[in-house]
Amino acid sequence: MELHSHIRQTLQQVAVLANCQLIEPITDDTVLLESGLDSLGFAMLVAQLEEELGMDPFSEMQIAVYPRTLGEFIAIYQQAADQTAG
Amino acid sequence: MSDLVIVTGASRGLGLALCRQLLAAQYRVLALSRSETDETKQLKQEYPAFEFVTVDLADLSQLPALCAEWIKRLGRPYALINNAAVGYDGVLATMHNSEISSVLTLNIEAPILLCKYLLRPMLLNQRGRIINISSIIARTGFNGLSVYAASKAALEGFSKSLAREVGKAGITVNCVAPGYMQTEMTSSLQGDKLDSIKRRSPLGRLATPDDAAAAVLFLLSEQASAVTGTTLTVDAGSTA
Repeated sequence: MELHSHIRQTLQQVAVLANCQLIEPITDDTVLLESGLDSLGFAMLVAQLEEELGMDPFSEMQIAVYPRTLGEFIAIYQQAADQTAG
Repeated sequence: MSDLVIVTGASRGLGLALCRQLLAAQYRVLALSRSETDETKQLKQEYPAFEFVTVDLADLSQLPALCAEWIKRLGRPYALINNAAVGYDGVLATMHNSEISSVLTLNIEAPILLCKYLLRPMLLNQRGRIINISSIIARTGFNGLSVYAASKAALEGFSKSLAREVGKAGITVNCVAPGYMQTEMTSSLQGDKLDSIKRRSPLGRLATPDDAAAAVLFLLSEQASAVTGTTLTVDAGSTA
């Protein structure tokens, strides 16, 4: 749950930095491409999370994975965090 | 703290000249190369702002973790200069496939991955510089250097698109294309060939590594903030 809110919060911060207007409300079912954040903004979100969490689950994956919704995006981080902890 | 510049292929030739000019201009330098030289050891003694790391950039799988470690330890870089390259002189028809592969790995795949991982912190800073060292051979061609030329032309195409991608984040991406320089890399070009290049050049000489390094320093500067997606040729006029 902590990771979930951390990512949601970072999304808001990065949107400001990337000068993007997020739609309201943002939920786990929000389709990323329709969230208001552009592709460079997503790169910034991944970069910010890498700095803060010390991981980039997408680089660690063997194949290219592109989550469709915010919930899927968060699940990928959760899974990586669980693996690190386990 | 002064801006951090990461330089690949830093132990000799253009990379070394570049490190010297960067340090003189008060940048912090993270120098990467496969092997340390007497010159880099001396720079380390002279400048606390100079750090040398031995790394084989052709080992692509280690690059993400290395970049993360550098960023964590040294902070977000201001600039990346992809200078490391290899060139095997020989006709394509008999060039070994492993050599073709190693040119493409070191000259194009490694710079792309370094850009990927090191521009991320630049995105967060909303400022940065990426400078890829090309060669006039990317556009003129040279007998015996077709694969090298392919890698440099690829680097120029890559740089133009990346410039479009990251421009709105305040990051510029450019190439510097030196002509023939008297470095260890061109040592096989001595004698008549080199004399003929000198004779034909409008300035009657070759460009030096210091000439090319000065162009890089300009692209790093605030004065170059409106220059992106371009290639700056430094060849004493050879391709004029």
